[in-house]
Amino acid sequence: MSKLRIVLGLQLLFFTAWGGYLLSSKNSDTPEFYLETTPVDPRDLLSGTYVALRYEITSPKAANCLTLMNSALNLFVKLEDRGKTANTGQGPVKIYEAADCSVKEPYGQGWAKAKIQPAFTGAPTAGYGIEKFFLNEEDPRKDARSGTVLAKVKIDNRRRLVLLDLVKKI
Amino acid sequence: MSYYKKLKTDLKGAAAAGIITPDQADRAWEHAYSARTFASFKAAHWIAAIAGLFISLGIILVAAHNWDKIGEVAKMGAFLVLFTGVAEAVIRLEAKPAAAIPLETLWFFMPALGIGLYAQIFNLSGDPVKPYLVWAALSAPLALLSKRPLAAYLTSILLFAVLYWGTLGSTNMLSLTSGFKHAAQPLWHWALALSVLGAGFALFPGKMNSKPLGAAAIWLFFMLVTDTAIRVRSKALLLLAGMSLAVLWLTWGSGEKENAAAGMPLTVWTGAVYMMTFFWHWKPGSHNSYSGSDTELGAMITWAALAGALITLALRNQRLLPEGKTGDYIAKGLLAASILCAFLLFDASEGSAKILAVIANLILAAFGASCIIGGTSSSDEKLINRGVAVITITAVTRFVDVFGSLLTSGFGFIFTGLAFAALAYFINRGRKALIASVKK
Repeated sequence: MSKLRIVLGLQLLFFTAWGGYLLSSKNSDTPEFYLETTPVDPRDLLSGTYVALRYEITSPKAANCLTLMNSALNLFVKLEDRGKTANTGQGPVKIYEAADCSVKEPYGQGWAKAKIQPAFTGAPTAGYGIEKFFLNEEDPRKDARSGTVLAKVKIDNRRRLVLLDLVKKI
Repeated sequence: MSYYKKLKTDLKGAAAAGIITPDQADRAWEHAYSARTFASFKAAHWIAAIAGLFISLGIILVAAHNWDKIGEVAKMGAFLVLFTGVAEAVIRLEAKPAAAIPLETLWFFMPALGIGLYAQIFNLSGDPVKPYLVWAALSAPLALLSKRPLAAYLTSILLFAVLYWGTLGSTNMLSLTSGFKHAAQPLWHWALALSVLGAGFALFPGKMNSKPLGAAAIWLFFMLVTDTAIRVRSKALLLLAGMSLAVLWLTWGSGEKENAAAGMPLTVWTGAVYMMTFFWHWKPGSHNSYSGSDTELGAMITWAALAGALITLALRNQRLLPEGKTGDYIAKGLLAASILCAFLLFDASEGSAKILAVIANLILAAFGASCIIGGTSSSDEKLINRGVAVITITAVTRFVDVFGSLLTSGFGFIFTGLAFAALAYFINRGRKALIASVKK
C-alpha cells in the first residue's frame, strides 16, 4: 500500500470517527429543552450561511456564576426549568435558564460544559458550541430577529450542549 | 504562433541547415507534440468530459435543491466517497501532472470541505481557529509524503496565516494579544503558537528558508509591538529588535540559489533604514498610541536578537553586496551600523534623533554607492540599478523634506516637477552610461 493511501486512510478514519461521535451526541438518550436566543446573521468562510446565536445563558447571572466567569477557563452551568415559558407552533414550551455554576464537574443531570471567552469591554461570556445554526439561503429563519426564536437543545452524555433546531416563537 | 508551430519551424530550419537530419527533426517534433497537455485526449474523450461535467452539475443542483431532505449519514457518506475518489485519482494519476496537480490541490482542500460540511450538519461552533488547525494537521502527512511540493506549500501558508490571524486575535486558542494575565490566555497558547510556527517552517518545501524565516521574523516583531506577554514599548528597544530581526533575516534567509540576491529581506532592510531617516522629525514626548510598559521577556528577546545579529555578522557571509574583502567589510559595517544606531534612541533628545536620521541617510548613500561601484566592477546591471534606485529615492525624499514647505504656490510645484524631470533624465543617462561601460 502506498504511503499516500495510508494518509488517505487516516483522513477518512478521522472523518468517520468524528461523524460517529457527532451522531452519537445528537442521538443521545437525554431530555430536550429550549433556550432563549438573540440571533444575528453573519457569513462563515468554511461553512456558508448560518444564524449566529447568543443566548441568555451566554451571560449566566445565577449565584456564583459572575465570580467564576472572571477566573475560570471552563465552567459547568446548571440549566433548569425555573417556570419561564414561551409559545411556539407546537404549543407552549418550557424555557431553561442558568441556575448555578461550578468549576469542578458536578454529579447529576442538567449541567452543560461552557468555555469562558474574555472580552475587551464588559464581562466575559460563556460559549457552549451551539452559537451557530446553519440554514438554507431561502429559509425564512435566516432573518430571524432578536428574541423571535428559541433554540431546541439537549445535553449529550459528555455534558456538551447539542443544537437540534431553531423554533419560531408566536 | 503557438509553441508547437514554432518548434516545428525551428526543427525544419535546423534540418535545412544540416544540423540534424529531416528524420531526426520529424521524430523530435513527434516526441514533443505527443507529450503536450491533454495529448491523449481525442474528440470522444472531450465529449465524455463534457458529459461528465453536465452530469456532475446536475447532481450538484439536485442535491442543493433537496439539501434539507438528505439525511446526515447520506451527506457524510457522499463526502467520504468524494474524498476517496479525489485522493485515489491523485494516487493513480501521479505520473500525469496535468491531472494530478489540480486534483492534489482539491485533495488539500477536502478536509476543509469536510469540516465545513460537518459543522453545517451538526450546527457546530466554537473556537474559530480550531477548524483551521485541524485542517492543517490533517493535511500535514500529505504535505510530507507527496512527491510534489504543492501540498507542503499550501499547508505551510495555511499554518502561517492561522498563526498571524490567531495570535493577533484575542478570543481564540492561539490568541496572545491583550490582557495576557487573563486566565483565558495562558502559557499553553504560546506553546501552541510556537508549534504552529515550527510546523509552518518545517513543512515549507526545499532548502529555501527565506520566506518562512521572514514570516517568522515579522511575526515575532508583531508580538513585540502588540500587547502580548513579550510586549516592548521603548522606541529604542523596538528599533533594536526590528533592525536585528531584519539583519538576521537578510543574513540567514537563503533563496533559490545560494549566492543569489537576497530579494525580499534586502528590500525590507533597505525600507527599514529608509524609515529611520524620518527620525529627523522626531521630538521627545511624541504621541505614543500604545499603552503599557516594556516586559522583561520582551527586553530579553530584543537583546538576544541583537546579540544574534552581531554574532551572525561576525561569523557568516553577508548578502548585502557582492562578496569580496572590501565588499564584506563595507556590507558588515553598514549592517552593524543600521542596528547599533538604535542606541541613540535611549533617553533620546531631538538632537540624538537627528543624528540617527543622518546616520540612516549615510547608510543608504553608502549602500547605493557600493551597489553602483560593485555592479560596475562585477558587470552586474541589476546591482547598478539597485544602487541608483536607493540613491534617487533617498535624494528625492530629502528634497521634499527640505523644500516641501516652499511648495505653497503653483510656480513652486512647476519648478519642483521640472527639477524631478531633469533629475530623472540625468539619472537615467548616468545609469545607461554605467551599464554600457560594463558591457564593453
